[in-house]
Amino acid sequence: MVTKKIKSPNSPKPPEKINDFFKSRNWKPFPFQKKTWKAYRDGKSGLVHAPTGTGKTYAVWAPPLLDWMEANRSGRKARPKLQVLWLTPLRALVEDTTRSLCELVDELEIPWTVESRTGDTSGSIKAKQRRSFPSALVTTPESLSLLLSYPETKECFSELQAVVVDEWHELLSTKRGSQTELCLARLRKWNPNLRTWGLSATLGNLEEAMAALIGNQKNGVLIDGDIQKKFVVKTIIPKNMECFPWAGHLGGKLLEQVAQAIEKKSTSLVFTNVRSQTEYWFDALLKIRPEWKGQIGIHHGSIDRKVRMEVEDRLRAGSIKAVVCTSSLDLGVDFSPVEQVIQIGGPKGIARLLQRAGRCGHQPGAISNVLCVPTQAMELIEYAAARHSINQKKIEQREPLQSPLDLLAQHLITLALGGGFREKETLKEIRTAWSFRNLTKDEWDWTIEFIVQGGKTLRAYDQFKRVVLREGLYCVESNRISRFHRMSIGTITSDPAILVKFQTGKILGTIEESFISRIKIGSRFFFSGKLLTLIRIRDLTAVVKLAKKGKGAIPVWGGGKSPVSSELAKSVRERIEEFRLGQSKDPEMKAMKKTLNLQSQWSCLPKFSEFLIEKTVTRDGNNWFLFPFAGRLAHEGLACLIAFRMSKLEPMTLSVSFNDYGLNLCSNSEKDVGEKTWRTLLRPEGLIEELLQCMNQSEMAKRQFREVARVAGLIFQGYPGAQKSIKQVQASGGLFFDVFSKYDPDNLLLTQARREVLDRQLETRRLTQKLKEIESQNVIINETDRLTPFSFPLWAESLRTQISSESWSDRVRKMAQELEAE
Amino acid sequence: MSEGIKISWNNASLTLLPDKAIYWPSQKVLFIADPHFGKAATFRKSGIPIPEQGTRDDCVRLSKLIEKTRADSLVILGDFFHARLGKTQEIHDILFRWRENFSELNIHLIRGNHDLNSGDPWHDLQIKCHQDPFKLFDLECRHIPISPSKEPYLAGHIHPGFTLKGKGKNRMRAACFHVNHSHIVLPAFGSFTGLKNINPEPGDQIFLTNGEEIIKVPCRK
Repeated sequence: MVTKKIKSPNSPKPPEKINDFFKSRNWKPFPFQKKTWKAYRDGKSGLVHAPTGTGKTYAVWAPPLLDWMEANRSGRKARPKLQVLWLTPLRALVEDTTRSLCELVDELEIPWTVESRTGDTSGSIKAKQRRSFPSALVTTPESLSLLLSYPETKECFSELQAVVVDEWHELLSTKRGSQTELCLARLRKWNPNLRTWGLSATLGNLEEAMAALIGNQKNGVLIDGDIQKKFVVKTIIPKNMECFPWAGHLGGKLLEQVAQAIEKKSTSLVFTNVRSQTEYWFDALLKIRPEWKGQIGIHHGSIDRKVRMEVEDRLRAGSIKAVVCTSSLDLGVDFSPVEQVIQIGGPKGIARLLQRAGRCGHQPGAISNVLCVPTQAMELIEYAAARHSINQKKIEQREPLQSPLDLLAQHLITLALGGGFREKETLKEIRTAWSFRNLTKDEWDWTIEFIVQGGKTLRAYDQFKRVVLREGLYCVESNRISRFHRMSIGTITSDPAILVKFQTGKILGTIEESFISRIKIGSRFFFSGKLLTLIRIRDLTAVVKLAKKGKGAIPVWGGGKSPVSSELAKSVRERIEEFRLGQSKDPEMKAMKKTLNLQSQWSCLPKFSEFLIEKTVTRDGNNWFLFPFAGRLAHEGLACLIAFRMSKLEPMTLSVSFNDYGLNLCSNSEKDVGEKTWRTLLRPEGLIEELLQCMNQSEMAKRQFREVARVAGLIFQGYPGAQKSIKQVQASGGLFFDVFSKYDPDNLLLTQARREVLDRQLETRRLTQKLKEIESQNVIINETDRLTPFSFPLWAESLRTQISSESWSDRVRKMAQELEAE
Repeated sequence: MSEGIKISWNNASLTLLPDKAIYWPSQKVLFIADPHFGKAATFRKSGIPIPEQGTRDDCVRLSKLIEKTRADSLVILGDFFHARLGKTQEIHDILFRWRENFSELNIHLIRGNHDLNSGDPWHDLQIKCHQDPFKLFDLECRHIPISPSKEPYLAGHIHPGFTLKGKGKNRMRAACFHVNHSHIVLPAFGSFTGLKNINPEPGDQIFLTNGEEIIKVPCRK
C-alpha cells in the first residue's frame, strides 16, 4: 500500500515553528538539542545530561510535539489522547514544569493539553483525569504507580508515545527510582516501542544511569548537553582564624558578611544543609537587618505548600531579595533572576555543589557563582577540594538499588489491583527493571508467598488474603485492602509528617513526628521562620501559637547529617597532601595554614601512605582518634566495629563519636594498644559478619525496618483526619521488627533491612575499601599531650551526647581557648 | 524471671512484676492492662501479615503469673480486645482453652476505649465487665488515667515506655510502670503493643521492665 503524504500549504513546517519559538526569545537551539530531536525521531530512547539551566527541558519536550505535528499535518483540531508522561521527583516541581511545558504548546498552537497530577490534586480532578487524560501529564513516580493500580489506565495510556523522567539523578539510587523502573517496565510491556528519555545532572556513572532508565530497550543514546557552563566557587574567609575548629561555631560570625553579599546582588539563594539551619539563618538575618522583613523568604520541604509557592513566584518575578532554603530548591525549572548562590556549611558532595551553583546564572551561557560560608574551619578544605573536583570533572556516582523486595511487594499488589498479573510473564517483566535484573527465583517466590499468604509463618491462616490467585491470575478482591494499598503507595520514605497549624486553623507546614515528639507542650521552637509555642498534638496535628521573643530551640530534622561523598573526601586528602608539599594555591588552604601547621607540629599531616592514629588522655579517659577520611557514615560503621573488636579483647566501656574525617573511641581502660593490635582491630576480614553481630545489639536495623515495613505495606502512615479503621491497624516499625524477629526470623524483609543498614547507613563497601587501603599503609601512632586541630572537633562531638547543649558550648569554647593559648 | 519489686502505695503493699502485672497479696488479686487480644488478627484481615503466636504466648505468660501468685482474681484494666475485626473464631478458641484451665478465677474487665468499639468478650469466657471507672477491692480501677483525681487509682491505656540514656549513644527503651501518689499506670500486657514515652514529673517513680527483669530507674529532672 502506498500512502501519499499531503502537505498542508498554510502551516509552516514544524521545525520552523520551533525555530520561530527560539528566535522570538533570541535563543539558538544548541547542537545537543538538535541531536536529541533526531534521536527521538529515530524512535530511540536515551539520557540527556547537562547542568541545570541549559535548556534540557526543551531538548526532550520539543520532539514529541514535532513528531505529532508531522503526523497531523492537516491541522487536526481534536485534542489527542495521552501522548507524553512527564515524571518529576518532587511534587513541588510539578506545577512549574506544567507551566513551562504549556508555554511551548501555546506557541506552537496545537490542540494539546498539559495537566498535572499529584497527591495534592483534588479528588474530583483526579477522577475526571481518569476518565479523560490530558495529552501530556506531569506527575510523580508515586502518582504513576497509583495510576497503575486502576485497571482502566491501560486503555487511557494506549496512545502513549514517550515518558520523560526529569532529574533522573535524584531518583536513580533511591527506592523511588526503583519504583520508576518498575512502572516503566509495565508501560513498555503495554507498548514495546515506548520511548523513554531521561534528564540528568552530570554523574560519575552516566552509562549505568541510562541503562537503569531504558531497561530492556536497546540502542539508548547518551547525549552530552555540557555547553561549557562556567562555575566559580568563592569562599568567605574568616578574618580571625582559630586553629581549633568545631562544628557550627563559625557560621554566626560571618553573618554580617553574608548580609553584605546579599545586599550586593538583586536576588540570592542561601542554601543550608539542614532545615534547622534554614530556620536559624533566616531568623539571624532578620535580626541584623530588620528592614528586610517581607523582602527575604524561607523555603524548605516542611513549609506549607502555599507559602512555598508564594516564595517561588516571587523568585521567578525577581521581587524577593533572598530566599534561605535547603535542597527543596536544589531542583526545578528556572528562577532566572537569581544572581548569586550562597552555600552555608560544607558542600558534602561535588554534584550537590554543582547543582546548587547551577541555580544561578540560569541564562544559557551565563556564569554560575557560588559563595561558600564555612560553619567550621575544616569546611574550608572541602570548598577547595570541591573546586578542584569540579575543574577536573570528577563527579560522584549514584548506584541503583539491588532488588528491594519491599518495593517489589508493593508493586505486585499494585499490579494485582490494576487488572491482575500472571506469574511467569510478570517475573520476566520485573527483571527488565534494572534494580531487579538480578532478582532470584527464590526472592520472587518469597515475595509472592508474602503477598498471598503473608509469608511462611502465616500459611495456616486463611483470613489473610491480600492477593488471591484466581485461574492463574493474581488479583485483589477485598475493597478494604484496595483502599489501604492505594493509600500507602505514596509513602515511600519520610517520617510520619505532623501538620503544624495555628489555633485559628492557618496551616504552617509539616514537621517530622520524631522531632515534634521531643518537644514538650508549652516549649518553644522555630518553624517556618516563626518562633512558636506548642499547645497540643492530636491526630497528627500540632497546634501552635506565636511565642514571645526569646531563645527558642531550633528544629532538628532527621537525615540532616549527610556525609561528605567519598570523591570529596578523597579530594580533601589531596588538598592536605598538596599543602604538606607546599603546593597549595587555593585561598582556603592559605587560610588554613596556621591550623594545618599546628597539626603537623603537634602530631602530623599524614601522607597518602600513612594512616594516622592519635592518642590523648583527657579528663574523660583515654581517647584514640583515627583519621580514615571516609565520611561520617563509614566512620560510624568503623567505630562500631572497632569498639566491638576492642571489647572482645578486654571487657571495657567505650564511647564513640565520629565526623567526616575521623572517629574517636574513648575508654577508661588503661590498656595499651600498640601497632600490632591496631592491625588486628582494623583488619578487613570478617567485617560484615562482625558488623552484623554488633548491629543486633543496636537499634539500627530496627530503625531501618521502619522504612522497609512502610514500603511493603505493613505500616499505614495515616494522615490528619484519617478514619478510625486505619488507626486500628497502625503499629510502629519497631514492633513489627520484634514480632518478625521472634516468630519469622527468616523473613526476607528483615534481611533487607539489615542489608540496607550495611549498604546505605554503614556504607560497608566504602568501609571494606578503606580497611584494605589501611592494610597497605603505615600506621602512625602519635601520643599527644593535648588535643590537636584534627582531634578537637571529634572530642567536642563526643561531649555533645553527654551534656546539655548550653554547657556543651561553654565547655568546648573554654577548651578551645586553652588550646589556642598554648 | 525476677521476683518483682514490692512497693508500699497508699497503705497497700503491692508487687510490681516483671511480666507487666501487679499483684496485691492481701486481696489475692492480679492486675494487668491492655492485652489487646486479636490485634494480630485485625492486622491480618487488613492484609498485613502478623503471626498469631503472640496471643498464645500471652496466654502462657498469664497462666504462669496466675500459677505463681495463686491469685483468686484477675482485673484487666481495659482494652481486652483490639478491634471488632479481630474477634475471630481462632482467638476465641485460644482464650476459651485458656479459661478452662482457670475456671475458678474471677475475672473483671474495665471497659477500655477499644472495648467500646469491639464489644464485650464472649460470654463463655465469663468475664465481668464494668464501666470505667469502677471500684474493685475498694480500689479505684480505671482504663484511662485522669488528673487530678479524687482517689488514688490503677490505670492502663497509655502503654507507658521510657528511654534510659547512658553514655555515648547508649540507649534503651522499654515498657515501664509509672507510679506516683495518685496513680499507677501499668505497662501494656499484650506482646504486640507499642510504647509511648512518658515524661515523669518530679517525685514520680519509674520501674522499667523488659519482661524478665524489673528495675527502678532514677528520674532526673
